Amino acid sequence: MPTIIIDDREIEVAPGTKVIEAAEQLGIMIPRFCYHPALGSVGACRVCAVKFLQGPFKGVQMSCMVDAQDDMVVSTTDKEAVAFRKYVIECLMLHHPHDCPVCDAGGHCLLQDMTVSGGHGIRRYLGKKRTYPDQYLGPLIQHEMNRCIHCYRCSRFYQDFGGYHDLGAMQSANQTYFGRFEEGILESPFSGNLIDICPTGVYTDKPSRYFGRRWDYERSPSLCINCSLGCQTVVSCRYRKVVRQEARLSESVNGHFICDRGRYGFFYNSLAQRPRSCIVDDQTTSVDQALAAVKQKLETFADKDRAQAVACAGSTRNSLETLAMVKHVCQTNRWQPPAYFEDAAATYKLKSAISRLEPDLTVSLREIESADFIAVLGADPLNEAPMLALALRQAQRKGATVAVFDPRPIFLPFEFKHLPANLDMIQTDLGALLNAALEPAALKKLDGSAREFYASLATVKQISAARQAEIVALAELLKASQRPIIVCGTEMVRRQTPALAADYALLMQAAGKSVGLFYVMPGANGFAAGLLADEDVSVETLIAGIEKGSIKMLILVESNPLWQFPDRHRLEQALQQLEVLVVMDYINSEVAQKADIFLPTTTLYETGGVYVNQEGRAQGVKPAYQGGIPIAQTGHGDHPPRVYGTEIPGAEPQAAWQLLAHLIGTGQPLTAEDLRAEIWQWLAKIDSGFKALPCVADIQPQGARFFQAPHAAERFLRERPIGGADNDGQLEVMAVEMTFGTEELSADSACLKALAGSPVIFMYSSDAKQLNLTDGDRVSVELNGGAVEARLQVTANMAAGMLIIPRHKDLDWQKMNTDKTFVHKDQIRKLKD
Amino acid sequence: MLNWIVGFTILIVKLGVVLLVLLLLAAYLVWLERKFLARLQIRYGPNRAGKFGLLQPIADTIKMLTKEDIVPAAADRFIFLLAPAVVATTALMMFAVVPFGSHLTLWGRQIPLVITDLNVGLLYVFALSSLGVYGVAMGGWASNSKYSLLGGIRGAAQMISYELALGLSLVPVVMLAGSFSIVDIVNAQAKYPFIIVQPFAFVIFMISAMAESKRIPFDLPEAENELGAGYHTEYSGIRFGLFFLGEYVHLQILGALVAVLFLGGWRGPILPPPVWLFMKMIFVALIMIWVRGTLPRLRYDQLMALGWKVLIPLALVNIMVTGAILLI
Amino acid sequence: MNDAVEAVKALAIGFATTFKHLFRKPITEEYPEYKRPLPARSRARIILTRDPDGAERCVACYLCSAVCPVSCISMQSAENEDGRRYAQWFRINFARCIYCGLCEEACPTSAIQLTPEFENCENDILALVYEKKNLLVDHQGKDKEYNYYKYAGVATEVGKKGEHVKEERPVNIKSNLP
Ligand code: SF4
Ligand code: SF4
Ligand code: SF4
Ligand code: SF4
Ligand code: FES
Repeated sequence: MPTIIIDDREIEVAPGTKVIEAAEQLGIMIPRFCYHPALGSVGACRVCAVKFLQGPFKGVQMSCMVDAQDDMVVSTTDKEAVAFRKYVIECLMLHHPHDCPVCDAGGHCLLQDMTVSGGHGIRRYLGKKRTYPDQYLGPLIQHEMNRCIHCYRCSRFYQDFGGYHDLGAMQSANQTYFGRFEEGILESPFSGNLIDICPTGVYTDKPSRYFGRRWDYERSPSLCINCSLGCQTVVSCRYRKVVRQEARLSESVNGHFICDRGRYGFFYNSLAQRPRSCIVDDQTTSVDQALAAVKQKLETFADKDRAQAVACAGSTRNSLETLAMVKHVCQTNRWQPPAYFEDAAATYKLKSAISRLEPDLTVSLREIESADFIAVLGADPLNEAPMLALALRQAQRKGATVAVFDPRPIFLPFEFKHLPANLDMIQTDLGALLNAALEPAALKKLDGSAREFYASLATVKQISAARQAEIVALAELLKASQRPIIVCGTEMVRRQTPALAADYALLMQAAGKSVGLFYVMPGANGFAAGLLADEDVSVETLIAGIEKGSIKMLILVESNPLWQFPDRHRLEQALQQLEVLVVMDYINSEVAQKADIFLPTTTLYETGGVYVNQEGRAQGVKPAYQGGIPIAQTGHGDHPPRVYGTEIPGAEPQAAWQLLAHLIGTGQPLTAEDLRAEIWQWLAKIDSGFKALPCVADIQPQGARFFQAPHAAERFLRERPIGGADNDGQLEVMAVEMTFGTEELSADSACLKALAGSPVIFMYSSDAKQLNLTDGDRVSVELNGGAVEARLQVTANMAAGMLIIPRHKDLDWQKMNTDKTFVHKDQIRKLKD
Repeated sequence: MLNWIVGFTILIVKLGVVLLVLLLLAAYLVWLERKFLARLQIRYGPNRAGKFGLLQPIADTIKMLTKEDIVPAAADRFIFLLAPAVVATTALMMFAVVPFGSHLTLWGRQIPLVITDLNVGLLYVFALSSLGVYGVAMGGWASNSKYSLLGGIRGAAQMISYELALGLSLVPVVMLAGSFSIVDIVNAQAKYPFIIVQPFAFVIFMISAMAESKRIPFDLPEAENELGAGYHTEYSGIRFGLFFLGEYVHLQILGALVAVLFLGGWRGPILPPPVWLFMKMIFVALIMIWVRGTLPRLRYDQLMALGWKVLIPLALVNIMVTGAILLI
Repeated sequence: MNDAVEAVKALAIGFATTFKHLFRKPITEEYPEYKRPLPARSRARIILTRDPDGAERCVACYLCSAVCPVSCISMQSAENEDGRRYAQWFRINFARCIYCGLCEEACPTSAIQLTPEFENCENDILALVYEKKNLLVDHQGKDKEYNYYKYAGVATEVGKKGEHVKEERPVNIKSNLP
C-alpha cells in the first residue's frame, strides 16, 4: 500500500490509486475536467496539474495520470502548479463563448468554478473565437458545441462506458467536434447522463431548458420508481413543480448514472391534468366528505359476512407504507385479502424469487460489474431495467461473457451471446450449459441433493443441434469463471423459472464457484408487494370474484389495472358490475375516471416513502417539496398569482396510506410520523420478512439491504426443468415491456413520447417466411378479444414460435388471455398498406 | 362639612387645571424642542401639520394612541405594563408641590396657587424622582431584551448617582430659605432670586437635572446608536407615549424647580404670577434644548466621573461655604 | 487649570456656534415644493431596459435575483421563438427593495437599472409589487450601446453561429481541411 504526502498530509492508498483520487480522499479537490471516477483518466485537459516535490520524478505533472507511489511528496498549492493551472484555464477559455447568462449550466458549471477559482477573470485573448454548428440530438438534450473544452468525457461515456456509437469525437485538432455524424435522436437510453457528465454547458437538459438555476432549486435526494432497480437520484423542484432529476452517486445501486426513463420519468408529478380534488359521483368535494362517502358505502358491508364483498388492490408503484396499509386495512376490516399484482402467477414467481435471495447469493447492481460470466435468464435488461444493461456493459468491458437466454429480440449495447428459445426452453438451455460447464472435479464436491439436481439437467445432446455448439463454447467460458452471476427475470417467465435460476446458482455454488443471483422484478416496489401479497390473490382473482358476484366494492389504491391487464374487455365488464368503485391515485388514470369515488393522493416527491428494490434494499425518500399545484398553473401566464396567503393551493391530497388509515376505525387522527411508526410496528408483527426493516429515520441515503432469506433446508428440490411443450404449430404471444412508453409513470412524460417509437410486432424470420410475410408488412393478429394491427418486424434475433408485441401505448394489445395466449398461424393476416 | 366639600371641589378643579396645562405643555414642549433644536441645526423642524407645525403634537398623540400596543411574548407582562405608568405618574405627581402663584381670592375664599404646600415639599420631590427610577429599571428588565436591560441598568445607575448631586446642590438653598417647603423657598426669594447668591448650586442643579431627566448629553439609557432605544426599545403605541410624556413632564418639573428654587418662582413684575412661572420654565427648557443641540453624548465613564468626582464634591464645598457664610 | 479654561472655552465656542445658527436661514430644501434634480446614477425605482434594437435586454439569467440581499426579485425564464432566453414574468417587490443597486451591478446585459425616480410610494402594499409590464421601458437607460446577444455565442435572430462580434465562421464538421 503506497503512502503519499499531499500538501503535507500523509495518506495510505490502495495500489493503482491516482494522485488526484488520493487527494480527494484527503478532502483536497484538485481541479479536473477530463478525469471522472467512472470514466478514469485520459490526461486531456491538463487542469489537474500539481507539483511533485519528491519521489520517483519531480516537477509539474498531471495528478490524474500518475499512480500514487511511496515517497511521493506532492504540492497542489505550489506556485508553479497554480500558475500552470491558471494558464490552462485561460487557454481553455480562449474560444469559450460569452454565454453564461443564457447557459443552463451556469450556476453548477465546472468550467465556471474552475475559471473563477483559478483566478482567470479578465480576457486577454482578443482574437476571433472558433464556433461550431449545433445539432438536434432529440427531445432530451440541447447541444451548444461552442462551449466545449475538449475533455472527451462525453465520448468516453457514450462509447466506452455506455457502448453506443452514434455520438463521439469528429474532426481534428482545434476543430475537434463532439456530436453525431448526422443530426438525430440519440440512440442511447442513457444519453441524459451526458448532461451530468459534461463539465460545461454543451449538453443541457432540454425539458427543463431555460427554467431556472441550480441555486434556486429545492434539491433533495430521491429515488427512481420507474423500474425495480431503484436507482438513486437527486430531484430539483421549483415553484411547486418537479423540474429535473439527476443521478445520485450510489455505490450499491446505480453508480454515477441513471437511464433516461428514470431521469425523465417524473413528469406525471406536475401535469396539469393531475387530479387534485376528490370526486364523489361526479361532484368535486373535500377529502373529509369523500372519506365520509367511502365510509358510508362501507357501512353496507359492515357485518361479518358482507365484509368479504369488499376488495382492495394496491400496485407495485405503491410505497411500502401504502402497500402495508392496504393489507392492514383489508385484514382489520375482514375484507378480501389485498391484490398487488395483475396475474396470480406473478405473486407466486415473486414469492419464490424472494425466498431464494439468500445473503450469500444476492448481489447488488454494482456487484454485477465485477462478474466474469453472466447468464441472463428470461429478462430483457435494456427494456425491463435499463441500468442493468449498463452494469452488464461494465462487466463485459472488464472481460465478462454475457449470455442471454430469452425469446425476445434482445439488444444490448455490447457484444453478448443471445440464445433465443421459447419460455419453456430457456431454462433447459441454461441447464444444459451448466451441465456441460461443471468439471468432474467440481462434481465430486456435490452432495446428495445437488447431485440429484445435476443429474436432472438436460445434457448438451438433448438440446437442438443448432444450439449445441454455442452451449459448448459458453460452457468453456463458464468453466473458467470464478464469479458467475445469474440474472433472472420474474415477469415474462414461467412459474418455476425464478426458483430454477436460484437452484442453478446454488448448484454452481456447491461446485465451488462464488456465484451471484440477481432478479429483475416488476415495478418499483415489486419486492415488498411480493413479501406482503397473499399467495394466489391477484387482480385476476378479484375479477373472478366480481364476475361471481361475491365482490361488490373495489378500492384501487394507486393501481390502474386497465393500463396493462391483458384482457381489457373482461376487466372493463367486471368494473361495470361493481356496486362501488373507489380509486385513490395521483395520476389521472383511466380507471380513476371510472371511479364512483375518487380521492387524489400525493406522490413520492410530496410525501416521500420507502421502496424496496429487487435485491431487498429498502430505500427511503423524504419529501422533496411541499406539494400543491405548480405556480405556473395557478398563475396568469405572464405573472404568478397576486393573491397572498399561507395556504398552498392544491395541497389537500394526502398520501394513500394516510387516507387508508381513516378506513380503520381507530378514531384518533394520527400524524404522518406516528402513523408511519404504527405501520412499521404492524409490519414487524405480521411475519412477512420485514422483521429487520430499519425504521424510516434510520434508512441511510444509500439504502439498506434488510431482507435475508433463510437458508432452505431442502435445496434443489423445488423445481425441475421442463421440456418444450408442443404448441401445435401455434405462436405464443408475449406482450413485453419497452424502455420507453410501456411503464405507466414515465409514459406521462411528453419528452419521452418520441423515444417510444411506433408500434410493431416482432416475428422470427422463418416463421414469417412460412406465412409469406416480410419485414415492414402491416399485419393483423386475431387475438381472443379482437384483432391487433401493427407493422411487422421480422428478425432472426428471437425465438421461433413466438409473437412479441411491445405494449406500446398506441397499440390496442390488451386483447389477450389472462393466462398464456396462443395464435394459430391463420389468425395472422397481412393487411394492405 | 360644607367647607370640606368646597375645599375638595377646589382641589379637584386645581388638579384638573394643572394636569391639563401640564399635559398640554408637555406636548407643546416636544414641539418647542423639535422646532428650537431644528433652528439650532439650521433646519425648519416640523412645519407640515398646521401653521409652523403647531398641530404636530396633536398628530403625534393621535398616532401614538392608534398604534398597536405590542407586548413582547417573552416580556414579564405585568411589570412591562406597569413600568410606563410608574414613570408618567411619578413625574406628574411631583408637580403637586410646585407653587405657581401666591394665592387667588375667589368669592371671599383664599385659594393658594399650589396644589398642596407640604412642609417637606423638596423631599417629596426627591422621593418621587427616585421612584421614577423604578419605572425605568422595571421597563428595562421586563422587556426581556438585552437593549432594554442595559438601558434600564444604565438609567438606574445614572439617576441614583445624580440624585445625590441634585440633592446636595439644593442644601444651600434650603439653608438660605430655612425650610423644605417650596412655598417658603419662593417666599424667601422675594428680594432677589437665589441664582444670584448660589450660582454654583444653580449650575450643579442644572447639570444634575439634565442627567436626572436623561436628556442629551446624558441620554445614555436610551443611546440610540448603541441600544436601539434603551429601556423603552420594546414599547410601542401609547405605552411608549407614557414614557415620552414622563420625560417631558419631568423636563417641566425640572424647569419649574429651577424657576422656583433659583429664579424666584412665580415672582415678577406686571405679569400675573403663573405667567412668570411659565416663562421661567420655558426659559430653562430652552437652555436645556440649547445644551442638547450643542453637546455630544458623554461616555459612560465620563458621566460617572462628572457626577461623583466633580459635581458631588463641588456641591459639598458649596454647602460648606454657604454654611460658613451663613454662620458669619 | 489650563485644561479647565480650555474646556470652558471649547464649551463657549460650541454654544456660541449653535446660538448663531438660530439666526441663519435654514438650509433645508423643502420637498415637494422644490424637487432637486438627482444625478443620473442615483438609486431608486428600477427599470428593465431594452437593447438598441428595441428587444428586451433581460435574458432571465437569475443573477439579479441571486444577488439581491432581500430576495425581492423573482422571475421565470423561458425561451421564445427566436431562441432568445427571456423573462416570462419578472417581479420586483418594491416594498422590500432597499435600492442597494446590487442587481444592476450583477446584470450581465445592462437590462436592470436603477433610476433617480423615487416617488413610488403606495398605500396599498400590493401595489408595490411590480410586474414585468410595469418595469419594462422603451429605452436603453444609462447604457446606450450594449446588446448582449451580439456578443453571446448562441444563435438568435441577432446573429447565427459565427455572426456575432469577433467570431470565426463555424467549423465545417464534414471536412478535415484546416
Ligand atoms: S458552459 Fe459554463 S462557463 Fe460556459 S457559458 Fe455555460 S455556464 Fe458559462
Ligand atoms: S462536449 Fe462536454 S464532455 Fe464532451 S468534450 Fe466537450 S466539454 Fe467535454
Ligand atoms: S436594488 Fe438591491 S434590494 Fe433592490 S432589487 Fe436590486 S439588489 Fe434587490
Ligand atoms: S441580471 Fe439582468 S439579465 Fe439577468 S435576470 Fe436580472 S435583469 Fe435579467
Ligand atoms: S483531469 Fe487530469 S488532465 Fe484532465
